Amino acid sequence: MAKVLIPTPLRQYSEKQDSVELTGSTVGEVLGALTAKFPDLRKQLFNDEGKLRSFVNVYLNDEDIRYLKKDATPVAASDTLSIVPSIAGGSAGVAPPPLASLSNDEIMRYSRHLIMPEVGMEGQLRLKNASVLLVGTGGLGAPLGMYLAAAGVGRMGLVDFDVVDFTNLHRQIIHGTKDVGRKKLDSAADTISDINPNVKIERYDTMLSSENALEICKNYDLIIDGTDNFPTRYLVNDACVLLKKPNVYGSIFRFEGQATVFAYPGGPCYRCLYPEPPPPGLVPSCAEGGVLGILPGIIGLIQATEAVKLILGVGEPLVGRLVLYDALAMRFRELKLRRNPECPACGDHPTITKLIDYQEFCGIPHHEPPPAPGLKEGEIDPLEVKEMMDRGSTFMLLDVREPHEYLICSIPTAKLIPLGDLPKRVNELDTATEIVAHCKSGARSAKAVDFLKQAGFKKVKNMKGGILAWSDKVDPKVPKY
Amino acid sequence: MLKQNRDREEAAKSMINIDSKAWQVMVAHAEAKFPNECCGAMIGRIDGDEKHVVSAEPMENAYAGAQGARYELRPEDLLEADKRARAAGLDLIGIFHSHPDCDAYFSKTDLENSCPWYSFVVLSVKSGKFDHANSFLPNAEQTVAEKEELIWPKS
Repeated sequence: MAKVLIPTPLRQYSEKQDSVELTGSTVGEVLGALTAKFPDLRKQLFNDEGKLRSFVNVYLNDEDIRYLKKDATPVAASDTLSIVPSIAGGSAGVAPPPLASLSNDEIMRYSRHLIMPEVGMEGQLRLKNASVLLVGTGGLGAPLGMYLAAAGVGRMGLVDFDVVDFTNLHRQIIHGTKDVGRKKLDSAADTISDINPNVKIERYDTMLSSENALEICKNYDLIIDGTDNFPTRYLVNDACVLLKKPNVYGSIFRFEGQATVFAYPGGPCYRCLYPEPPPPGLVPSCAEGGVLGILPGIIGLIQATEAVKLILGVGEPLVGRLVLYDALAMRFRELKLRRNPECPACGDHPTITKLIDYQEFCGIPHHEPPPAPGLKEGEIDPLEVKEMMDRGSTFMLLDVREPHEYLICSIPTAKLIPLGDLPKRVNELDTATEIVAHCKSGARSAKAVDFLKQAGFKKVKNMKGGILAWSDKVDPKVPKY
Repeated sequence: MLKQNRDREEAAKSMINIDSKAWQVMVAHAEAKFPNECCGAMIGRIDGDEKHVVSAEPMENAYAGAQGARYELRPEDLLEADKRARAAGLDLIGIFHSHPDCDAYFSKTDLENSCPWYSFVVLSVKSGKFDHANSFLPNAEQTVAEKEELIWPKS
């Protein structure tokens, strides 16, 4: 007679006995005797094909019979058989959609989604139960917010601290002319609610920072990076890697854009692609270099498509592939990206285990030194330039902007020599004549002044604030751009 | 449909009540293992539809791989826990594990590696701190897990 120990939950099928003595010379025979004696136990231990259920292990004394002779393992009278479950699990794998249903209005609204089997009720409920964080509600955030709202994403977090400006309107279509001067958060939330009042909007009127990023990002299923500066790119990336949340990335410049999904399990992160930030000032921002207004529409909607695919769990996610888009050639290309096992963030032995100082990492001073009140050495105020003109003083006004900027607006009497052309055209200038240089806001003309001084010019000054200040202080008819 | 709802309500009557000492052990284990998943066994008594957990035994997460979102219990450890419980006149009645930075739902992975004989308590740990918990009763086919009323001491 061998002893079989019955686990607590199964005793309801064994007449409450916690152990049973049974005869049999092999494990198979003893288990057969057990289920013959208590037929209700059979269903608990064996599946319909008569095999032990996947979670059932049988131990002979201290050994798993799988590593002995399985059913044929011999059993002696002094042996004890134990039934032990095998148990595992984990949060990995998709959570079953929380119980939720769509209202009749929602069913009507999403009808063109619902009739596609890849979405259907299940997928639409996934969208409804999904949460997405949009970092930035500008060029990329605009189409993202609008289309994700329309698609039925249930909860959307918006991070922005900026105010709508006229120069935003040529691309940030979530904001309108009436919104100029309003907080982007409020304007974006109004548009989203108008498109789909079912979306729950959470506003973060702040700049994403090392202090708040984890706290904000942890509340969302996926994070969408719609920002335009390197410190925030690295910040969003590291936060996503640390929180194990996908980072749907996009970037735009002039006529070109990029998109991919970073920090997806097994895939690369932003640091695998760009381990080091570029030196400050090397890559111009959209404000400096310009951007085709339509471009963020294309790139933002590639990001939106990937977000929806990740939520639905359909298709092939844009992981390990960087899509490059060239609007002028109208061409998409794809670069393969690989996770770098040495990556400090997502590699096998990560050294970035918490968020760092990203301004410092990118070589950017924390606070731009405030422009000194009054004039610095070598600067001249636009009002003084105007007085010199009115007095009829002899001097040369030198505009160092680009020709296409000169066509937008210019100051009468100014001579145009773009900064880049200055070295080869310096002979057009006279060292004896006083020179006042200007550009759009004063940075390029400061470089021009430095260059001219080195070239032996003594009487050169930089007009503080450029043509923008001229428009403010002297002649409001000159448009600002 | 009606019958199904009724069955669900009846299933929902089952309840698991965790003693404060056992609960402290579970929460401390879950927080200590963060950002990895922890696991362990719950020992106690069953009284009709009511389960009473009097002690919790932390166990090693035996999953071979990244443990941030996976756990595995060694059957040997469960066997030992079961023996100890019997010796103390108690029973092994539940399994607990944690979900780091994740809600306390019963995931597909949880379901597909579950066992219908026990209560499965899932503890959500967010940023290293216990957040909330739920208890589940999976079926033998590993296709559905009903939620069970979970009572733990609130400080």
